[in-house]
Amino acid sequence: MCMDVGRLALARKSDRWFGLQLTAPAGVILGVLLVVPTAMTIVYSFHDVPANVGSLGEFVGLEHYAIILSSEIFWHSVWVTLVFATGFVVLSTVFGLGMALLLNESFVGQGVARALLIIPWATPWLVIGILWRWFVDGSVGGLNALLMHARLIEDYHDFLADPGWALTMTILAAVWRQASFAGILILSGLQTLPKELGEAAAIDGAGSWHRFVYITLPWLRSILITVIVFNVIYAFLQFDVIFAMTQGGPGDATQVLSILIYRQLFGVTNIGLGSALSVLLSLVALAGGLIVVKLVQKREGM
Amino acid sequence: MYRTKQSGSGKSSRRDVLQASGALALLGAFPFGAANPARADNGQTIVEMLAWDFQPNTINELVAGWEARGLGKVDLAIIPNLGYSAALQTRLRGGAQIDVYYNFGYNSQKFIREGWAASLNGLPDVDALMADMYESARERHVNAAGDIISVPYFSAVYMLQYNERMLSRAGIESPPQTLWQIYEASKALRSAGIVEAPYRAYWVKEFCEEYLITYLLNEGITPFDAEGAPVFADDPKTRDVFEWWQAMYREELAPKSLLNDDPSKMSTEMAQGDAAFFVFHHYFLTKVRDSAGPETGHVRQSPIGGDNHTLQIGEVLQMGEIESDRTRAAAWDLMKYYGWRDENRKFAVFTQWARAAGLAAPYPDFFTDPDVVAVFPDYYDLPLIAETFKTGSKVVPARTLPWYPTFQLRVGDLVHAMLLGQSTPAQAVGDLADAAVAALRNRTL
Repeated sequence: MCMDVGRLALARKSDRWFGLQLTAPAGVILGVLLVVPTAMTIVYSFHDVPANVGSLGEFVGLEHYAIILSSEIFWHSVWVTLVFATGFVVLSTVFGLGMALLLNESFVGQGVARALLIIPWATPWLVIGILWRWFVDGSVGGLNALLMHARLIEDYHDFLADPGWALTMTILAAVWRQASFAGILILSGLQTLPKELGEAAAIDGAGSWHRFVYITLPWLRSILITVIVFNVIYAFLQFDVIFAMTQGGPGDATQVLSILIYRQLFGVTNIGLGSALSVLLSLVALAGGLIVVKLVQKREGM
Repeated sequence: MYRTKQSGSGKSSRRDVLQASGALALLGAFPFGAANPARADNGQTIVEMLAWDFQPNTINELVAGWEARGLGKVDLAIIPNLGYSAALQTRLRGGAQIDVYYNFGYNSQKFIREGWAASLNGLPDVDALMADMYESARERHVNAAGDIISVPYFSAVYMLQYNERMLSRAGIESPPQTLWQIYEASKALRSAGIVEAPYRAYWVKEFCEEYLITYLLNEGITPFDAEGAPVFADDPKTRDVFEWWQAMYREELAPKSLLNDDPSKMSTEMAQGDAAFFVFHHYFLTKVRDSAGPETGHVRQSPIGGDNHTLQIGEVLQMGEIESDRTRAAAWDLMKYYGWRDENRKFAVFTQWARAAGLAAPYPDFFTDPDVVAVFPDYYDLPLIAETFKTGSKVVPARTLPWYPTFQLRVGDLVHAMLLGQSTPAQAVGDLADAAVAALRNRTL
């Protein structure tokens, strides 16, 4: 008996070691690609690093953070980032859910429609930015033609030159891609929903709205949390679409934090200041993610 | 059931395979390519060159032309123009050896300061190359300390492209030259019902700085003094320039979309007769003429600024830090060939660029070289462009100072804010001066 227990413990230890060996390559790669750059970014943010990164440069303490936090440019950029992130997360999730619900119904061409859902998701962000830039163009854009045809506008409008519209257009462009990703995930969740649940509820007199609220949504909760967390991450990381459409303009109307970081790190090669901005963006993104998780947990507890 | 090692059987278990795979993956994580690449191929010197993708086939042909001389081979990498500066700096920071590379003029002094680019002082013929150049262009390639930091990749001057037929229909006999003359002419064209929004310029954020300097020079304003101080802010005429700029946009003499439009669209609009003026680099006349439209043949080119100046721009070739004398000699020979003359003293490379895109070189002899004259389309007034290079344009040396890119980034934000009515012209002048001073101190967003 004692020998069996000892052998079992030895085998378990051996398995743990084996498991560690299996995950070591991934661990090393993650360490090299994530932990080291993150640590370096934090260290750089406290130094006046020369552009060639030949040395750390002079230690400046919190000076970069003081410069950033006292800058109107930064706070405006934080505001733009939050507006973009909110619009992006809400619309991507809602449109994704809507598309998934539609595509879960039986209709002629359902297979083709489901296949089409993948196209935006399979298109690179930069390409989507370029496509949408032409789509919303004030002279030849298809969006203006559609709105004119629907009699919603009387004349072509230069959306991207209008600070009131430019951010909305970049959100819509990014949502166009991300909603399809959300739709694919949610659709996979809907396909696991037993039909009997809905049928039983219908027999009990529940309407389609009640079936959606009390059966479908709870069933999708775990998938929706995953979708929202993904959307939050993409929202704060977003760069390509906005840069391709507006470069952060007109003025600073679409200048999200990632563009501000790009300007500092790659436009003027101010490594220290750019690193401090990156650290702050991480904190903003982390705060955004935590708020979403807390909100979801709160609703789950209700 | 637990799996155990099979001992003595001579077979490999799944665990062994996975362990071996893990070890291989770990090894794979280390950069085998970190070692310096070979710099010689069969005894031939290899020159590492990086360029952006403007007419890549032409670049390949030009490089092949140099290789045919037998001084070495070129390991050429061509990468996208968009994000080129970031990619170049990342490669250099990562320790990549790049012997010769395209660079933006505004980055040239910074690259010297960072040790990414070498001074060209003392290299064979370098003084002759500089002496061969227009005096106005030399300031781009020589810093205040007298170090020669680059050679030309191409040069251009800001010119006014205008539709002669439209102006004539509006009763305007000669093309406008000052900013307010352009304003009046634009209003006249609109009033006559010829074109609603006649003016085009590439006012996206990245290019606002070039237009700022162009417009200041047009009105005879000195943008920066020898030390780089923003003296434009002290000149009362500057506010007038900004008032003109805002009026053009607010009164829609320039379309609202100009903050986002690209030059190809503007060239097409000129060719189609949707615009009457287009201020940009001189070689964009080729683009307008190549766009087959009803007005293509009526578009002409004229200097801007009257008796004052226009902006002379140009991108450059720089040499990386090279240890080997042999490689440095080969790289320098390639630079002379690419940025000056070939062994027969012909502008072989620049002639190709002139043929391909109407680009110019900042050498007086370039404009009289029969080969160059032959390839330039006849709609270009070459003597006019040559004269503009010689006496009608400035490079504004402050534009190559290490702090300048920081200022340049802010110009787009501040000019756009003024055009959108978020600030007054007077505020914009003050904000830009503050941005220049802050950039000089190098600690600003």
